[in-house]
Amino acid sequence: MAKDLSRQKKFETRIDFTPMVDMNMLLITFFMLCTTMIKSQTLQISLPSNEKIEEEQQNKVKQSEAVTIIIDGELKQANVDGNAEAQVADAAAGMLFYYDGMPPTAQDLLKITKGELENPMKQVAFGSQEGALPAIREILRERNKDVVAKIAELKKDWKEMKFSSNEDKNDSIYQAKAKEIRNDSTLKRPVVIIKATPNASYAHVVNVLDEMQINNISRYQIDRINMVDSAMMMPLKEKALSAK
Amino acid sequence: MGKVKIKKKDTRIDMTAMSDVTVLLLTFFMLTSTFLQKEPITVITPPSVSEEKVPDQNLLSVLISPTGKVYLEVLGSKDSTFKSETVRADLLRNMAAKYNEKHPNAKVSLTNKEVAEFAKLNAFGVPFRYMKDWLSIEDITLRDKVLQGEEPLTTKDGQKVKLAGIPISMNEDANNPNEFQMWVQCAYNSMNDELKQSMVKGKGIAIKADQTTPYSVVNVVMDNLQTIKMNKFSLMTALKAEEE
Repeated sequence: MAKDLSRQKKFETRIDFTPMVDMNMLLITFFMLCTTMIKSQTLQISLPSNEKIEEEQQNKVKQSEAVTIIIDGELKQANVDGNAEAQVADAAAGMLFYYDGMPPTAQDLLKITKGELENPMKQVAFGSQEGALPAIREILRERNKDVVAKIAELKKDWKEMKFSSNEDKNDSIYQAKAKEIRNDSTLKRPVVIIKATPNASYAHVVNVLDEMQINNISRYQIDRINMVDSAMMMPLKEKALSAK
Repeated sequence: MGKVKIKKKDTRIDMTAMSDVTVLLLTFFMLTSTFLQKEPITVITPPSVSEEKVPDQNLLSVLISPTGKVYLEVLGSKDSTFKSETVRADLLRNMAAKYNEKHPNAKVSLTNKEVAEFAKLNAFGVPFRYMKDWLSIEDITLRDKVLQGEEPLTTKDGQKVKLAGIPISMNEDANNPNEFQMWVQCAYNSMNDELKQSMVKGKGIAIKADQTTPYSVVNVVMDNLQTIKMNKFSLMTALKAEEE
């Protein structure tokens, strides 16, 4: 009896942490699956208001500066939210057309259809061939080469931290200078008019808007497609389809 | 020769260190996480090189499904008196007043309970005359399904209707706004001045459309916004690495 009392049981002081780890792992998995780490990006655009503007008040685009890009696409049937008949744009089938200069008038179109005038519209491939830049980027870069060259120079200085040794300050000076160059009216800068047909997919429209950013084009607008544009597009489309 | 004494090894691993690590990770995830918001439709935004982040407060986003259903999401500010719930309740009251003014024969009167229910919702998009019927659905999963258009809504007079987002159509008459435009105007004129300011700057309105949405659908939304003079807005995109 006395012997039993004197022999105190030695408790194990170490606690087994395995269940704790199990539980934590579960919680981590839960948080990892339910969270969004990447926030969406935004593209800022501003459109003109819908009010009718007097002809004289419109700033006329110079003939040599205008480039019109037309985005076309195809619709396909897809199963969207249980609706099997839904018509959505086919993200794989995009077509891109462009022409330089002002949009042709109805008289010009008549001449084009008769063959008296050459069709100014050309088709470019969407996306890029392997290893090459997207075709539209090459075209836009060529039109905006003064600005692109200046920005490239500026970027070199920025990378070498020439503006300031402070990284944030360096960035903000770079941004301000880049903006200045993009809006420098002494340089030859294009005005890009983007038009999309109803069948074009939203992805392609954003893709073209993106090219504006990549090529540092400060003047661009989204416009509505008109009869002349679609009439000029028809023969090119037929050609592209028959080539398939 | 003495016996070789084999030392008995302890097979238990000390889990304390492991537990420390998991707790740390858990803390990190808990602090950085923003939960995925429940949306009536899953939208895959197109990629762009833009690096501007979507604001996480004072934002009105327009969700567009590939088939053209339009939903709205409202976020209030994080740390002022105008929390999301307050802003949404205010928005709904404004909208009800505006709607009843326009439709004196088909007034919608909402109870405080219904307004409170609405304030909790992240996304909404039902024709306003069905708002009361929709909010009075008790079963949350059924309510979501009705919002998505998977299940019909039973109105109080026993009719069954399938819903397809906020009614929207081409409208260029700013004095006679359609329902979508009324919602946007109400959000603009709500008592939250911060939301108004960011909408003026173009950061407060974001269009979130799926890649495969035909441009015709996006165009209707953009045109509607232009008509009510909200011609600055942003397009939500996903991150894409810039290839040089």
